[in-house]
Amino acid sequence: MPSEEEQMSEALVRIFENVVLTEEKSLQAGYFNDLSIAEMHTLTAIGPYDARTMTNTAEDLGITTGTLTVAIDRLVKKGYVHRERDKRDKRIVRISLTHNGKLACRMNNKFHRVLAQHILAGYDENDRKHLLDLVNEVDEYVAQQLRRYDSTENVRATARQVAKDTSKEKN
Amino acid sequence: MADSDNLRAKVKEDVIRIMSETLEISPEQITSDLEFNSDLPFDSLQLYEFVIDVEETYNIRLPDELLDKVKTVDDMIDVVLELSKKN
Repeated sequence: MPSEEEQMSEALVRIFENVVLTEEKSLQAGYFNDLSIAEMHTLTAIGPYDARTMTNTAEDLGITTGTLTVAIDRLVKKGYVHRERDKRDKRIVRISLTHNGKLACRMNNKFHRVLAQHILAGYDENDRKHLLDLVNEVDEYVAQQLRRYDSTENVRATARQVAKDTSKEKN
Repeated sequence: MADSDNLRAKVKEDVIRIMSETLEISPEQITSDLEFNSDLPFDSLQLYEFVIDVEETYNIRLPDELLDKVKTVDDMIDVVLELSKKN
């Protein structure tokens, strides 16, 4: 019988991988099979409504504007994204979703929503609340760990701290 | 006819027109008591095509949480009317 730590660790990784894999397969089998998962996530980050700047979108995705520019070039060519320069400040580039982009974004949101609905449907109201509380706690903990690595200068200090904490726990 | 009646009639006409174009059926086949789930042959892609067209026509937002409450064509007309008044 695997330890609790092993069960938790394996389940977390498996859930993450399987959600991404299911999303990928549903994309390939659906109407938007010319989109990769990364491209779909870019559309989701732009969102179906207001135009966004390249800088803000890149920040949300945790990538550089250079990397986002390459992705947006492809999405403009495929007809999912509209790009234009700000009329007043030409340095600012605004991106928004075309009709097809909005459609892809909303279908992908629906995929995630249906997945969540099906998971929650197996529980009564109390258990659903309990499950959501636990999932939110796990989410918050993992996000907190990620924030520790947010700035480059923190990475070495954080890695040293994690190593120190781990050796303390072992002793 | 009062202004509010005129506005409702206009929204109804637009909603039914967009719906008939999306579903490729005659507008006469669509009455305001029809239900989305049982009476109208939308697949999920067509449903979002319809929703996005309505959003763009009226410059409003119809998120999924709101759409969950929309059961009939009449409900959709009410929601569009309410949101477009806020604009």
